[in-house]
Amino acid sequence: MTTPIVSVRDLKVHFPIRGGVLGRVTDHVRAVDGVSFDLYPGRTVAIVGESGSGKSTTGYAVMGMETPTAGQVLIDGKDRATMTAAEARAVTRRLQIVFQDPASALNPRMRVRDCIAEPLEIHRIGTAASRAARVQELLDLVGLPASALDRLPREFSGGQKQRIVIARALALNPEVIVCDEAVSALDVSIQSQILNLLLALQARLGLAYLFISHDLSVVRHISDEIVVMHRGRVVEAGPTDQLFAATRDPYTQRLLAAVPRPEVRR
Amino acid sequence: MTTPPVLSVQDLRVEIAGQPVVDGVTFDIAAGETLAVVGESGCGKSMASLGIIRLLPDVARQTTGQVMLEGARIDTLPERRMNGLRGARIGMIFQEPVASLDPLMPVGKQIAEALALDGAVPTAEVQPRMLEMLERVGIDRPELRARQYPFELSGGMCQRIMIAMTMIRRPVLLIADEPTTALDVTIQKQILDLMAKMRHDTGAAVMLITHDMGVVAESADRVAVMYAGRVVETGPVAQVFARPRHPYTTMLLRTIPRLDGTRKVPLPAIPGAVPDIRSWPKGCRFNTRCPLATEQCRSAVPLLEPSGSPGHASACWNRDRIETELAP
Repeated sequence: MTTPIVSVRDLKVHFPIRGGVLGRVTDHVRAVDGVSFDLYPGRTVAIVGESGSGKSTTGYAVMGMETPTAGQVLIDGKDRATMTAAEARAVTRRLQIVFQDPASALNPRMRVRDCIAEPLEIHRIGTAASRAARVQELLDLVGLPASALDRLPREFSGGQKQRIVIARALALNPEVIVCDEAVSALDVSIQSQILNLLLALQARLGLAYLFISHDLSVVRHISDEIVVMHRGRVVEAGPTDQLFAATRDPYTQRLLAAVPRPEVRR
Repeated sequence: MTTPPVLSVQDLRVEIAGQPVVDGVTFDIAAGETLAVVGESGCGKSMASLGIIRLLPDVARQTTGQVMLEGARIDTLPERRMNGLRGARIGMIFQEPVASLDPLMPVGKQIAEALALDGAVPTAEVQPRMLEMLERVGIDRPELRARQYPFELSGGMCQRIMIAMTMIRRPVLLIADEPTTALDVTIQKQILDLMAKMRHDTGAAVMLITHDMGVVAESADRVAVMYAGRVVETGPVAQVFARPRHPYTTMLLRTIPRLDGTRKVPLPAIPGAVPDIRSWPKGCRFNTRCPLATEQCRSAVPLLEPSGSPGHASACWNRDRIETELAP
């Protein structure tokens, strides 16, 4: 039995609410309140929910961008909370994140070649020549032409910018990519191109995805397992095909019934 | 003689710096009917609506075409009279309800203010009608909500307030530009249902601008599919979805992940991206992404022509090849 690359155990992330003249903590927002799941290499777990459900906060806790109030985030069996600084740094190479809006994720003044090479430079990997070769390879992998190298992000469309972001996320050979609404801001025809790219990269590189989205149709298409969140809690979880075949939770049913479908039913 | 459509747009053209962002758009909407204008970003769907209500940004201007509201031209009206139509005869709701409301005024007062603009309503009636309207848009405890400010309400509730404020003046035409795009899916359903109820109650014509084919299928009677400034296909929603007669519509409908589709397989993608307006190709503008494109498509613009069932039209030189050569 392989160990999960990411294991989330009864995760809680609470944010304090301060009130009164002294700014005392009067209450807590339970953004994430008892979430558990396992993500195995080469697999996709989707977290689906509406705004405020805690799905992104869960992703941030997995990335180490948010500290758990309680519970654990285990990376390859090791608790993030007890890692040494060196271990934590090593882990940052294994987990990467792609956000919704590629325009704000890219430095507008940096050429594509430098955007993609930056993680390699920060982690002092390779020589200038080997880094340049790696950048070229990454561009290829995400389907961008070599002519993109010396251009600025603003010269690209939204879908191409997201390809650049994905290339950068792949630079350090990660094992996990957290996709936080990574296709939500894209046009329909571009969204399917990026979904296809994500599937192809997973098949080729054995990536695991933590795919955070509000879009049930997209999530059903790309994931192996689904965690449905509502107000910080998991209301239903399970293998994607089983969950869609028979939802048991009333909230999931309501969510599913509300999805507008591109087929005429009247 | 039959009654004219509520809205009739003929050959509308809007230019930005000499480039036609809306290029010869023509459609009608009848009373009680919803026309969805659907397309990807930059296709000109919002610019077309802003051209109709003459609220184009300064850089854009309408160069040709006519816009008729209930049979009378409105594109040539003096601005003063056009301003009298906006809000009164033509209601508008937008994507960001919170940004469309005054943050410093209780929402009830904003609705009452809209009603008072029509003048003829006696002061004593304003308050009760405002509260009645809040109830009709599904807001519970209207007396309490009326006193609240937009920041105290959720996005969905703010969109209900916007609808109340717009519909209380009983417009004959409602233009809704991505009214549910910023909302969660369960709230989206509520708002679409509410819009359908309002249309039913008032008989208004609705122009629904959206990028979401699901929203089109669930809430429109007819659809106009736009690509790069032009309507490429139009017709009754059921016909267009069942038997699309333009390669763009055909491929767009197939590329969307569906709740009943095969999982984890490559989606039939449309190659490339919508071309930048400065490099729109000659002829049919979809020719750079179309697997059926021929020399003719690269040189001559196909016009919207009837194809198949009544009211269904598409602008494609190769529509007869779609079913055989674009088979799934």
